[in-house]
Amino acid sequence: MAWLTDQEAKAKRKTDIGPPHYSKMLPPVITKNYGKWKYHEELTPGSMVHVAESGDKIYTVRVASPRILATANIRAMLDIADKYCDGYIRWTTRNNVEFMTSKEENVPLIKKAAEAAGYPAGGIGAGLSNMVHTQGWVHCHGAASDASGLVKAIMDEVFPYFNEKRLPAKTRLALACCVNMCGAVHCSDIAVVAIHRKVPTIDHDSVKNLCEIPTTVGACPTRAISPDPAKKSVKINADKCMYCGNCFTVCPPINIHNPEQDGVAIVVGGKVGSLRTGPKFSKLAIPYIKNNPPRWPEVVSAVKSIIDTYAKDARKHERVGEWVERIGWESFFKKTGIEFTYQHIDDFTFARDTFRTSAAFKW
Amino acid sequence: MEAEELKNKIYDFVLAAKGKKKLKEKDIIKGVSADTGEAADVVKKAMREMIDIGRLMYSYGGGSSSVEIPSEEYLREKGLIK
Amino acid sequence: MKKYETPLLDELEKGPWPSFVKEIKTAATKSEMANDELGQLEKSYRDKRGYWKHGGIVGVLGYGGGVIGRYSSLPEEFPGVAHFHTVRINQPSGMYYKTDSLRTILDLWDEYGSGLTNMHGSTGDMVLLGCRTEALEPLFAEVSSRGWDLGGSGSALRTPACCLGQSRCEWANIDTMDICNELTQTYQDYVHRPAWPYKFKFKIAGCAIDCVASIARADCSVIGTWKGKIAVDQDVVKDYAKAGMNITEEIVNMCPTGCMSYDGKELKIDDTNCSRCMHCISKMTKALRPTGEKGASILIGSKAPIVVGSLLSWVVVPFIKMEPPYTEFKALVEKMWDWWDDNAKPRERIGEVIEMKGMRSFLEAIGVPPQPQQVFEPRKDPFFFWKEEDLNGNK
Repeated sequence: MAWLTDQEAKAKRKTDIGPPHYSKMLPPVITKNYGKWKYHEELTPGSMVHVAESGDKIYTVRVASPRILATANIRAMLDIADKYCDGYIRWTTRNNVEFMTSKEENVPLIKKAAEAAGYPAGGIGAGLSNMVHTQGWVHCHGAASDASGLVKAIMDEVFPYFNEKRLPAKTRLALACCVNMCGAVHCSDIAVVAIHRKVPTIDHDSVKNLCEIPTTVGACPTRAISPDPAKKSVKINADKCMYCGNCFTVCPPINIHNPEQDGVAIVVGGKVGSLRTGPKFSKLAIPYIKNNPPRWPEVVSAVKSIIDTYAKDARKHERVGEWVERIGWESFFKKTGIEFTYQHIDDFTFARDTFRTSAAFKW
Repeated sequence: MEAEELKNKIYDFVLAAKGKKKLKEKDIIKGVSADTGEAADVVKKAMREMIDIGRLMYSYGGGSSSVEIPSEEYLREKGLIK
Repeated sequence: MKKYETPLLDELEKGPWPSFVKEIKTAATKSEMANDELGQLEKSYRDKRGYWKHGGIVGVLGYGGGVIGRYSSLPEEFPGVAHFHTVRINQPSGMYYKTDSLRTILDLWDEYGSGLTNMHGSTGDMVLLGCRTEALEPLFAEVSSRGWDLGGSGSALRTPACCLGQSRCEWANIDTMDICNELTQTYQDYVHRPAWPYKFKFKIAGCAIDCVASIARADCSVIGTWKGKIAVDQDVVKDYAKAGMNITEEIVNMCPTGCMSYDGKELKIDDTNCSRCMHCISKMTKALRPTGEKGASILIGSKAPIVVGSLLSWVVVPFIKMEPPYTEFKALVEKMWDWWDDNAKPRERIGEVIEMKGMRSFLEAIGVPPQPQQVFEPRKDPFFFWKEEDLNGNK
């Protein structure tokens, strides 16, 4: 294949056509039973069956993926889909891959083929699904840590909860490589979020050329930034800075990266569903663990320990956040052995809602 | 107003803000509409035509999008200048 | 091709979870770009920092989104990633693919880019990771001539996304995939040409389980719901009990409104007290199902923490019918956009503007009356505004 020339490209290009219509992408059994599904059953942590009013069945094998995929390996998945799934495949919102077939006998064959290709089955029901994550050092300018590497190390460790062992309820893990939090990291059962801890440094000469001063001043949520007319730049009040990095986003010469001080925090107890209790934000469990590539052993063991405590202590169907609310945060810190620090007490926008106003609490 | 005259007005409006303020589409539509008395829809259509041929371009920086005069680099890459 | 030693990344090829390093190495066997991505990433692991510059101004002619500029800060050391732009390809609703149509994209991507992808990006687009500037126009021409288009980025309507809805789920109260596709098609101009103060996201979920996390990350969360009773198949309830489910503990006692009772024979639901949270239905899917009028709740405003804290979406319209071509919903959304665009400062999301200007201003602008479903509780303070029309209306 040769590249199109400018002229050819101009002649060929179309605009504003949107994506292909989904109806062209659906397996026939889905088209036939669209809107007429009756129930589904989880067969194993990696497979389930949906049954339609018509009696038709569709079996789904869900497999893990690292989200970053090479075209060659996607082709290997497509070959499996051609062989066992009549040439259809889908992805889930959590970056899993799903192979669907009406033939029950294909289920173990799909699992075997996917596992042979390096993508093990799992992620369905009361256990761990894939860990939603961001780009990290692979592709983002703002990353305070990597994303894929941490996810790989964590999922290796807790893998049995993905493909075999069960938890009290489904448990959603996520990772964001900075506080911008691409993806719903802020509402996950357990999430890792990379943070900065040092006041940014400013390259004043570049600020002059690259940044709008009012926009930069306005970008600071704590009003720590003010104009510095002498330098035609800005200055930062270190006492007020919370290291959010928003100034870096609007004005690149303000550098917030600090390899020795950047690291990750762990937050817990969020959810998005309205089941039983309403959706919740995740709250701070561990304020800082240093970046320790390639396998971040301290982060891995912290996540593992929270999951294990939850697995042992929570009631059936209770999500992490519901478990913690039932036992109380004071008990959460006791049971997990996590140290409670100044950083845990909010001093930003939500502070007053979090201070305890009751004489009833646990020792 | 002649279409080409309006486009020149739009171009001058964007040029005047260069290096000072990042203009959103709406800033241009509102501003030029007020200056010329042309309806917002007419200004928008003219501006879009200019973007489609690379006389103006969408830009991105500091977390948000704006409309600017194209750089030489952009025009060269699009094959609009040699 | 240069051969990089990657002792740190090699550690991430071990273990049972699929390895992203293997993926990059696979692509690197054929692509200099992917190979230099590998080299630069190893250096990041060594130095504990990224080596990417802020996004630059790149895109296809006429569009203001769909491509995100990315340049290495070490282009001499790693020339293959000197340009490494992201191309967002708008996914089909529900992320189903016919294998041949996905192969078309893969073939083009091998020709024009690094061979690395994200399936999918956080917003839902298929992400082609690592494209040079000069490849953008021909790649776009190839992709679009085969029926695909770019997704959104910047201060635009971001690619709408949905759960798989009625295609394979018995719980979906609305046709999420059709709504998603319809919004994407109707508002193509808003996706490709950033006209707003900041981004705007739609996510459409079929029920309150919210598999697409709409309530946490969409400016407009559309969540399917219903107005009728939950039908109970008592025979199947007995089957669940026989199979070992402790119905009192797991269903009745976990109901947040206490609207259920079970005497060992019959499961009763006081539907007037049900808040439709989905717990019982999701645990006894064969026995319970919603009946009556189907539609959606519209919640507005959620976003991630930058910059004064995360928001979850707020109930604005407790119930709206969602039937094609969704005229009422689209009219409502367009009013929201007008109000937001008129009132927002740069980089302000709609939720933040509602906080700043007050919910009343927003509700009045979109023509939605105040309703108790919009709040957990009424205000506690005695400070409230009166407008002239409130006084005259003797409210």
